[in-house]
Amino acid sequence: MEIIIVLGVIALVVLFFVAQYNRLIRLNISVDEAWAQIEVQLKRRADLIPNLVESVKGYAAHEQSTFDAVVTARAKATTASTVADTAAADGMLTQALRGLLAVAEAYPDLKASANFISLQEELATTENKVAFSRQFYNDNVRELNTAVKTVPTNFFAGFAKVTEREFYEVEDPQDRKAPSVKF
Amino acid sequence: MNFRGQQAANRRKTIGLLVGMGVLVWLVALAALTYFGQSTTAIVPIAVGIALVSVWGSYYGSDKLVLTMTGAKLIQESDNPKLFGLIQEITIASGLPMPKVAIVIDSAPNAFATGRNQDHALIAFTTGILDAMDRDQLQGVIAHELAHVANRDTLVSAVAATTAGAIAILSDMLMRMMWFGGGRDRDRSGGNPILLVFSLLILILAPIAAVLLKSAISRKRESLADATAVAFTRNPAGLRSALEVLERDSTVVRQKSNSIAHIWIESPLDAKAVSKMFATHPPIAERIAVLKAMESLN
Repeated sequence: MEIIIVLGVIALVVLFFVAQYNRLIRLNISVDEAWAQIEVQLKRRADLIPNLVESVKGYAAHEQSTFDAVVTARAKATTASTVADTAAADGMLTQALRGLLAVAEAYPDLKASANFISLQEELATTENKVAFSRQFYNDNVRELNTAVKTVPTNFFAGFAKVTEREFYEVEDPQDRKAPSVKF
Repeated sequence: MNFRGQQAANRRKTIGLLVGMGVLVWLVALAALTYFGQSTTAIVPIAVGIALVSVWGSYYGSDKLVLTMTGAKLIQESDNPKLFGLIQEITIASGLPMPKVAIVIDSAPNAFATGRNQDHALIAFTTGILDAMDRDQLQGVIAHELAHVANRDTLVSAVAATTAGAIAILSDMLMRMMWFGGGRDRDRSGGNPILLVFSLLILILAPIAAVLLKSAISRKRESLADATAVAFTRNPAGLRSALEVLERDSTVVRQKSNSIAHIWIESPLDAKAVSKMFATHPPIAERIAVLKAMESLN
């Protein structure tokens, strides 16, 4: 009788350990998947840029500095590998694209062209997809980091070789800049 | 309250209401036993069985069934790239798989989601809603529909419909037994008369109570879907202004059947509902107010 109770308790303890371990591994994989999604969306956006630049160039050839900014930012974004680098390049590119669209505002013919309108819609949805994949990634990182730091999962983090992960924080100068007032 | 608080509160209330449903079934069974004696023991499993069979089929095939009931047509990405882009945005935000997408040709703005699980999800839009709404509004509506998918609301409403159905069948069977004098053990010396009256009352009122509980569950799931939608988009303003468009619009979807009224984002029936207590959706003004409160938190 006692043997059965002892075995039962051991089985429960083992089940508990397995559950904690698996939870950590699952969370870690979710973060990896969310990261892969960010990369997919950033790639989509990078692929879109040449077309967009070409289409704007056709109407506004002399806005060379804006095009250069976009092309440099795109090059940086496609070579970045760490979370921090990718995030920084992503922020720069978002900024440069905003500049490009601002330029387009000044050319009514461009704004009216069917090609530009469809590119603009595609860019809008891609920007949203990038933003949502960041948000999804950060939500997953938050859940993982909480698990790594809280009882009981924190006891198993070392064993499962799961550590806290880095948040994806985009530096967007526009978010911090105080609105400038002109008279 | 922020969206996390809203989600937790609505989940808690759903569980409370489902427990209420369970208690109601138990009360009806108890009343039947008190009134008719042991001969009715078999009736409860029979009633639950009938309800289960009739609801389970429509739950399992909900994505296909609803297509025929609403006349919605499935579309591909090339038919409406902009709409697909918007839906892909929310699948990324929510981590859900891409649902099937359908269009209902109807000028009344409305939308719905169905399907037994994430992998068989279907969301549909009327041509009216696609015309009437801008990007942010449509994004809010899509997030609301995918929130139903994420919260497994087809399952929740199937469970609610099964229990309400079982109670209706049960009390119907027992009422018939009463008229035809069948089951009641005449030999038994009556029992407690107060208890008998009480049991009779439960049998009469239970089906109405079940419908009320079912509507209350549906309303809570709508509020939950609004909160979950905000969790996906982090933009309560989009869904709020979409609901304002629906509120201003007075046209109603031409339905082929009233039995699926609860799945639309704006109920086609509630305007006619006798009272707020039978409505499948919370009043639209109330939903707008909750979203406005979330906006002011940002």
